Amino acid sequence: MATAIVRSAKNFRNLHQRFYFHTLLTKCRPPIPSPTIADNIQHRALPLIQQAIPFGIGFQSFVADQRFSSTSTTTGTVQSGHSKPNSEGGDKSGDSNQSKSDTGKPIRGGPISWLSFLLLALTGAGIIWYYDKEKEQHIEEINSASQAVKQGPSVGKAAIGGPFKLINHDGKNVTEKDFLGKWTVIYFGFTHCPDICPDELQKLAAAVDKIKENSGIDIVPAFISVDPERDTVEQVREYVKEFHPKLIGLTGSPDEIRNIARAYRVYYMKTAEEDSDYLVDHSIVMYLMSPKMEFVKFFGKNNDVNSLADGIIKEIKQYKR
Amino acid sequence: MAALEAYASRNADEVHTDVLLKARQACYKSRDAFYDCLEKESNKKPTEIASVGLLYPAECKALRAQFVNHCRASWVKHFDRLYCKNKRVTRLLDDGGETRR
Repeated sequence: MATAIVRSAKNFRNLHQRFYFHTLLTKCRPPIPSPTIADNIQHRALPLIQQAIPFGIGFQSFVADQRFSSTSTTTGTVQSGHSKPNSEGGDKSGDSNQSKSDTGKPIRGGPISWLSFLLLALTGAGIIWYYDKEKEQHIEEINSASQAVKQGPSVGKAAIGGPFKLINHDGKNVTEKDFLGKWTVIYFGFTHCPDICPDELQKLAAAVDKIKENSGIDIVPAFISVDPERDTVEQVREYVKEFHPKLIGLTGSPDEIRNIARAYRVYYMKTAEEDSDYLVDHSIVMYLMSPKMEFVKFFGKNNDVNSLADGIIKEIKQYKR
Repeated sequence: MAALEAYASRNADEVHTDVLLKARQACYKSRDAFYDCLEKESNKKPTEIASVGLLYPAECKALRAQFVNHCRASWVKHFDRLYCKNKRVTRLLDDGGETRR
């Protein structure tokens, strides 16, 4: 009995919690137990702080009840069972506390019950669902933000392009002003190019036709030579004639070519092998210029005809000014 | 302006026709023929020297001559270099890096 009291003090906190939960669960039952129906309370309600001593007894009998699986009718059996399972009950009180609460249907109502488990599961699910929604929203925002940036060239234009003074394939002097008013695609290359420039120019010519066919927009393709020493006006004329009637060929003095290459950030380097038979290493890029001769977008070698045409049409459609 | 005009009149007469469309197409055809020969006879021992370190077996000699004939010298070198590069890449992919080359 004394050990029971000691243990009851230790277990008091536990049982106080259980009492609290139990009061939540059993609102209809009287929270304050009366001493007369102590045995009833032993099964259902936990006594308050005044009842610490009988509480210890009640606790023991709780254990006893489980072992004997008796109902709340007889007090006699309860009290007689005191002395016998006293010590064992006391020993088992610690862990039986837990096991009782785990087995689900505690007679007294432990801190963990099916209802609390359900509440926990619901809360957990609710939190996960809420977090999911927030995450989705966040991802949406990021996506739309990145889209928005692409659509607005006003966010910052690349400093590509600039004034130039070149000779076109008819021998006329042209400047960038002659290209205003229409969309232009500029390709830098040289006529003595083995395979890349012909392929790119063919691609450009096909794309120009495709764009005209799909959207009716006129694009002016331009070929600017980075090999001015060999690419004379006649050379360029013969060269561009074969690709597209609208293809304009431009050449000029080495100084002018150097200027425009710098303006367009074009790399070109003579692979000085022999004197007249050399190749020019150069960057393989097509520049899309707006009707104001402002740089809009560039297209690399990896685009095929369709993606080039589609890309150009998209840029033109997105161009608001 | 004067400089531009001077420049324009300097090389007025020469038009290198060997880079125009017809010449290019002939060059490509002979180039493809030669490289196909190389592929076909790849099991033969390469004895002849092409350029930039490319070797080819004697069976393809005639095609090589045609190839060199139709294309500019710089183009021949360029194509040979390209061919070697591709060969190296395919060999790397096939062997998985086992053979040290």
